[in-house]
Amino acid sequence: MSLESATLWAAAIVTLGVYTILYRENPISRIFEHIFVGLSAGYLIVFIWAQNLEGKWWKPMVHEGKWYWIFAPIVGLLFYFIYSRRLLWMARLVMGLFFGTASGYFFRQFFPIFSPQIYGCFKPLRADASIGWGDVILHNWLFVIILLTVLSYFFFAVPHEGRFGRNLGRSALLGRWFLMIAFGAMFAYTAMARISLFIGRVQFLLNDWLGSLIPWFAQRGT
Amino acid sequence: MAGSHATFWQRIQQIPRYYIYLLLAAVVTWQILFPIALPILPSRVTQGVYDAIAAVPDDQLIIISTDWDASTQAETGPQTEAIIHACFQNGKRFAVMNLQPPMGVKLANDIAQRVAAEYGAEYGVDWCNWGYKYGFDNVLIALAKNIPKTIGDDFHGNPVTDLPMMEGVENIESVGLVIEITGLANVTELWIGLIQGVYGTPLAGAYTAVMVPSYYPFLDSGQLRGVLNGAKGAAEMEVLVKRPDRASAIMPVQSWAHMLIIALIIIGNLGYIFGRRRTTERPS
Repeated sequence: MSLESATLWAAAIVTLGVYTILYRENPISRIFEHIFVGLSAGYLIVFIWAQNLEGKWWKPMVHEGKWYWIFAPIVGLLFYFIYSRRLLWMARLVMGLFFGTASGYFFRQFFPIFSPQIYGCFKPLRADASIGWGDVILHNWLFVIILLTVLSYFFFAVPHEGRFGRNLGRSALLGRWFLMIAFGAMFAYTAMARISLFIGRVQFLLNDWLGSLIPWFAQRGT
Repeated sequence: MAGSHATFWQRIQQIPRYYIYLLLAAVVTWQILFPIALPILPSRVTQGVYDAIAAVPDDQLIIISTDWDASTQAETGPQTEAIIHACFQNGKRFAVMNLQPPMGVKLANDIAQRVAAEYGAEYGVDWCNWGYKYGFDNVLIALAKNIPKTIGDDFHGNPVTDLPMMEGVENIESVGLVIEITGLANVTELWIGLIQGVYGTPLAGAYTAVMVPSYYPFLDSGQLRGVLNGAKGAAEMEVLVKRPDRASAIMPVQSWAHMLIIALIIIGNLGYIFGRRRTTERPS
């Protein structure tokens, strides 16, 4: 049996083994699940070493005389003092460093990510040379109505009583309907994605695996 | 309710789930073996990705960030392949790279090698693989300022400065487009927050269908030039590059599977409505 053929068989057996979970929880699917997790972890370690640590840390430190890189793992190992009550403060030092860095990154990214979306909410509500009335009503008016009604749904400071409150309540109700439609669309996308993945595996089983045994299957559907 | 007095409408709400799985598997198998082809029309958002690739100036390169792995390969694999076809057909140089998960860079490398062979493209001249670079924010911030120093070695362990296509590539100004292909949330936000939003480098995305609704606001605001929407987006891109392949084969199967699910939802809801009506009508 060639390596390619063995790979095909292994992939087919693993695929079918994992799908046995659809009937009920069983040791076969569990075994393959654990193999997958173990392989992924092993692959990650090898890849981090081969693609990052070896070139960026080991080579400069050992072969290029940049001895100060030895301090990098020492700083990293400080995390493990979380298991010592007496030396916990040393773990807190690096944690604080990481929290601070992460906060800095977040602040740096916040405005480039969100400000264009805020500007994008200000859409023209009248037709002009660049946009016709059809597009204004279909896109911009609809967008602004949905935006305002959904925002009103999350406006909890005013009780839905009195003239203003009752109108706010109606707007919030409409906003809730728009949210439900959006969630429905998102769920449909989720179903679509899951089915795509399933089709991908069935394509493999029929076209690649069975197709390697019976050529008729390899020619179908591609 | 599930006992001997259960009505027809109540019973159809109690169908064991593995019968539904079997039905779905039967429909999928039927359509893979005997497909009934349906037309695939490229959407505006897919066209946006293609146009963004075609618009990259010749002196700039494209970064294809392949942040996916085997678990989403049915969608992201064909997306990657169709995008690489579009790059080669438009004569654009590109670099594959990966932030997370690391398996993506190997899978994308295999695809790029296969597609490059079709066009007679040469590694290091027409395309290259920068490999898996761990560190998310740190990598992108450094990449923007100094690409050769940040990348260091390519996927094969050779210095990227030795590659002919890297001549003159210094910083993010040398990049004409970033295409993020992923099944992971929040990676695109890094590219937007640290690269597109800061330096104005055009950005396009290719996502699993689960993720796409979250990224429509980025399209509307102009932060993304286009998006490939799961296998559907990949199939549309295959149409644009005139290379129908796995994603195009998925689409008729997907359509029939969706019809089955819609039918099951309707039957389930009818069962719920009529089953409840019978229960309320029946004297206690």
